[in-house]
Amino acid sequence: MDELDKLKNHWKQNEPSFPQVSEKEIYGMLHKKSSSIVKWILVISILEFLLQVSLTVLLKDNTNTQSFNTPSIDYLTLPMTLIGYGIILYFVYVFYIRYKKITVTDNVKNLMQSILKTRKAVSTYIYVNLAYVVVSAIVIVFVMFKTDSRVLEAVHKSQEHGNALAFYLTAFLFIFVLVGIFILLVWLFYKLIYGFLLRRLHKNYEELKKLDF
Amino acid sequence: MSSSIERSFVQQLQENQNLIHKICRLYTNNEDAHKDLFQEITIQLWKAFPQFRGEAKFTTWAYRVALNTAITLYRKKTRTINTIEFDSKLHRFNQDEYNYEEEEHIKLLYQAVQQLNDIEKALVFMYLEDKDYTEIAQTLGISEVNARVKMNRIKGKLKTIINP
Repeated sequence: MDELDKLKNHWKQNEPSFPQVSEKEIYGMLHKKSSSIVKWILVISILEFLLQVSLTVLLKDNTNTQSFNTPSIDYLTLPMTLIGYGIILYFVYVFYIRYKKITVTDNVKNLMQSILKTRKAVSTYIYVNLAYVVVSAIVIVFVMFKTDSRVLEAVHKSQEHGNALAFYLTAFLFIFVLVGIFILLVWLFYKLIYGFLLRRLHKNYEELKKLDF
Repeated sequence: MSSSIERSFVQQLQENQNLIHKICRLYTNNEDAHKDLFQEITIQLWKAFPQFRGEAKFTTWAYRVALNTAITLYRKKTRTINTIEFDSKLHRFNQDEYNYEEEEHIKLLYQAVQQLNDIEKALVFMYLEDKDYTEIAQTLGISEVNARVKMNRIKGKLKTIINP
């Protein structure tokens, strides 16, 4: 008889005596809030979507009302805004569909896959949005250099003083550093939040994958 | 006011709570964490209960949800207190049936199982609960052959933990 069979015999013959939970206590538990990782993923994801939507709206408002209040650049801002909303709608839809597929009665491997796929929908959304921010920044800078009177004046002055190259370099470096810091912060935020939340799930999923070679 | 569904759920859970306790015992190492996991499993079972149509036994359905919660959904708290007290309380033996040596050996085996990883613990739990390999494989979502291979490896691993 191997070790596990000895344990099995003991397990069967000696039902451990656990302190019993009363019906009243169980009723109480039914109305408590879950603290499962799926709930946390849902809460964080909704916050992310809301944050991104407000950023998109803010960006759109600023673009329209401040420096570029000219109909001539509608050909740029309009498709950008539409693309921005399209991205949000698409990913909210994908997230919802995947989230609905998470069922606790599924097998362990499928459940883990569903959770990771749902999570991936949001992280892909964030990456797409980062790319969108970078492209938007490039477009905005391009438009500013073409239409913004203050920038045009500064360019003109720098040309007069013969240091146009230095002006362009400084401006681009400044924008580059700004976008870089933004991306770094988002990346750090993700590493922290999801590293903490999904570390155990990733570990167990890898173990299962290793098992089912 | 509780609905009849709520009453039926609470009653079935109360009657079969040892199953949940056993899983909690396997996946936690102190009394607070045990209670915490028990509560989370109860919440998950209750949320999934509308889909339970009574085709399977309540226990068969419940242990899958409970295992899924313990392995995948539950966020372990880092607190570790009164571990020894809790373990010894649960590993108490009936003195009439077991001699000291065997008692010590079984205690060692339980401690060795605690050292396994989450997936291995699930395999061991189902094995101890007399589930066949088809059911073990289906619950984990792996092939039956791989479930058998893994179980053999776990047996070897337990032996090594006990006799290093």
